Amino acid sequence: MLEYQNLFTRVQVRTEPDPGIPIDESTGSRFGTGMFNWLAGKFGDAQIGPIYLGWTGILSLIFGFLAFEIIGLNMWASVGWDPVEFIRQLPWLALEPPPPQYGLRIPPLQQGGWYLLAGFFLTISIFLWWIRVYRRARALQMGSHLPWAFASAIFLYLSFFIQPLLVGSWSEMVPFGLFPHLDWTSAFSIRYGNLYYNPFHALSIVFLYGSAVLFAMHGATILATARLGGEREIEQITDRGTAAERSMLFWRWTMGFNANMESFHRWGWWFAVLTTFTGGIGILLTGTVVDNWYLWGVKHGIVSPYPALNTLTTDQQQLLRGRYQGTAPDSFPTYIVRQAPVVMDSSAMSADSTATDSTAVPMDSAAAAPAASGAMAPTTAPAKPPVPPTGGAPR
Amino acid sequence: MMTRRSTRSGLALVVPVALLLGACGDQTVDNVQNGYRGTALEQNYKRGALKEKFAQVKIPATLPPAGESPPGPLPWKNVQVLNDISVAEFNRTMIAMSTWVAGTGNCAYCHNLAAFGDDTLPNGKPLYTKLVARRMLQMTRHINGTYTQHVKNTGVTCYTCHQGKPLPNGLWFYTNQTDYLRHYLDRDGARVISTNVAPSNGNRSSVKQTEWTYALMISQSKSLGVNCTYCHNSRQFSSWTQAPPARVTAYHGILMLRDVNQHYLAPLAPVYPAVRLGAMGDAPKAQCVTCHNGAYKPLYGYQMAKDYPALWGRTEWNGVPFPAFQAAPVTAQTPAAAAPAPKATSSTGMN
Repeated sequence: MLEYQNLFTRVQVRTEPDPGIPIDESTGSRFGTGMFNWLAGKFGDAQIGPIYLGWTGILSLIFGFLAFEIIGLNMWASVGWDPVEFIRQLPWLALEPPPPQYGLRIPPLQQGGWYLLAGFFLTISIFLWWIRVYRRARALQMGSHLPWAFASAIFLYLSFFIQPLLVGSWSEMVPFGLFPHLDWTSAFSIRYGNLYYNPFHALSIVFLYGSAVLFAMHGATILATARLGGEREIEQITDRGTAAERSMLFWRWTMGFNANMESFHRWGWWFAVLTTFTGGIGILLTGTVVDNWYLWGVKHGIVSPYPALNTLTTDQQQLLRGRYQGTAPDSFPTYIVRQAPVVMDSSAMSADSTATDSTAVPMDSAAAAPAASGAMAPTTAPAKPPVPPTGGAPR
Repeated sequence: MMTRRSTRSGLALVVPVALLLGACGDQTVDNVQNGYRGTALEQNYKRGALKEKFAQVKIPATLPPAGESPPGPLPWKNVQVLNDISVAEFNRTMIAMSTWVAGTGNCAYCHNLAAFGDDTLPNGKPLYTKLVARRMLQMTRHINGTYTQHVKNTGVTCYTCHQGKPLPNGLWFYTNQTDYLRHYLDRDGARVISTNVAPSNGNRSSVKQTEWTYALMISQSKSLGVNCTYCHNSRQFSSWTQAPPARVTAYHGILMLRDVNQHYLAPLAPVYPAVRLGAMGDAPKAQCVTCHNGAYKPLYGYQMAKDYPALWGRTEWNGVPFPAFQAAPVTAQTPAAAAPAPKATSSTGMN
């Protein structure tokens, strides 16, 4: 069994590649016989391959490639198939979901249809890969911890597609693109009143940062005991005075409590799995149960109150609120007097007006209106100074 | 030996750290707090940067006050906007406008020199510059008269935007890159955040619409050379109580631009020659940067318009009557004497 143990040595062994244990080949067989790579040996095992793909792996790669191509070609088309611009603008290019007016109706290909197709293929690809991960774990008679951890990540990915279905519009889906998907993230947070007040977002961050801390603790502990053979944890687990016992003693001495060689990996697994799981719940609650997480935080007393920065009354704030996107245009605050759209004296532009003497137009602009062509609305702009206002009130 | 080694290792540590910090620049940053402590409501300026930008602002000298006008009724034939000021003030305003827009004394930019009253050239071609200038004068009066919530008593002149050039900065046309401007500075509402915890059909704003609002806000931020917290507490962008008062001013700026674009700039499309129009045949429109030019106040708040009564369409500035209005009795008071005017009375209590 020593061949599987990563001894700290600069010597790379070259021998016949190890094919691993026999597997049930009814769903496909392994490609190649394996080869050695010096660089790979610096980072892990020097042997590369054989690899098992099976039909799920092959189909997954095909669908993944389709999605990748649809995204890439759409991005390329968006810069007029210019290869230089494609490279230069790549971080800002995107395949965007359908615009809001389509709701959940089928859009044309150029209006987000390609996006839905790419998302569909990508999802199929990910699901097929999950099946592959599950079957490989079973083929090696391992537990199913890996596929279920992967499933947690897929749950977060899917929640970004399910939440738009719940709020009824494709447009809420995440665009494919480097910066565009980051822009979407901040816009999503702003739209729903600051995601930092979403408790599931908070939990997700706790587990995310916690995962990093646990990973650092684990990596550091094992490396620090490597000089005592700490990486061979299973062999040492029952003995006294071994690297394994010292690594546990270290944490008991420094913080009073220690995980053991097995439980520590449960800590890591749960932190990682809960990062994406709680995150997905947070997404699914957003826009469906809670529309403004900041106000949710106010309601539940988690927002610290600050003194008001101005003296606006409630009525004045209401006037200043403006209107939402996509509501009727006349729902605008009424205290600004609207001006009729007019073009002064544009009759001079028409052919016959050049024959007449425009200087003969009466001085008063209101009297000039009949001279204007029928298409031009008469002016209502104040040609005379308005009644002297008191302090300039815009009434 | 030990000392030398520790010195060496010390050096080995100091040099990369110094290089790292050096990459951050040695600029001193001045912070201007504009909100409650601990909320990071502050503006950050590189020391001296504001002074440099301030020094770059050029303001044309104010013309001497208008002299006596000939008695009798106004002699104009085709004056449609400035028909409420004296002859001398009219001429003074015209000269100032040439400096602000076309170059001092360049009357021919807008006028038929053979017949100043004409709207056409001697060959009968229309003088689009004159038609546009007339509409711009109405716009200036409308802004100074109606949007005191935004321009206060400083007001605007032609120079605020034009800065001595026929075409102001930041003109925009309809393209797929200016959707965000089209939506807000031309017609629509910017609001996307709900006022209730629970979702409702009252607010169906999309995340995409939020991105347009975001784009508009960033364009404002760049236009004014400030960051988000100049107008917002970023923990809740929609909250008015937590917003610095500057947001009220900025909000009226959006209303003003929408009005100006809808009713003054866009309708000029049939007047312009094709070379001045956008790809979709639309007239050039204004945005925040057109007036602000990177400053939180255009020309850093220099009160230019108070010396030009023709731009106000009213008879007084800050409660002090303008000298040159035809309607008002002409007094010997000069604009300079009008400067130490009483403090402006609060406009509508919005602030």
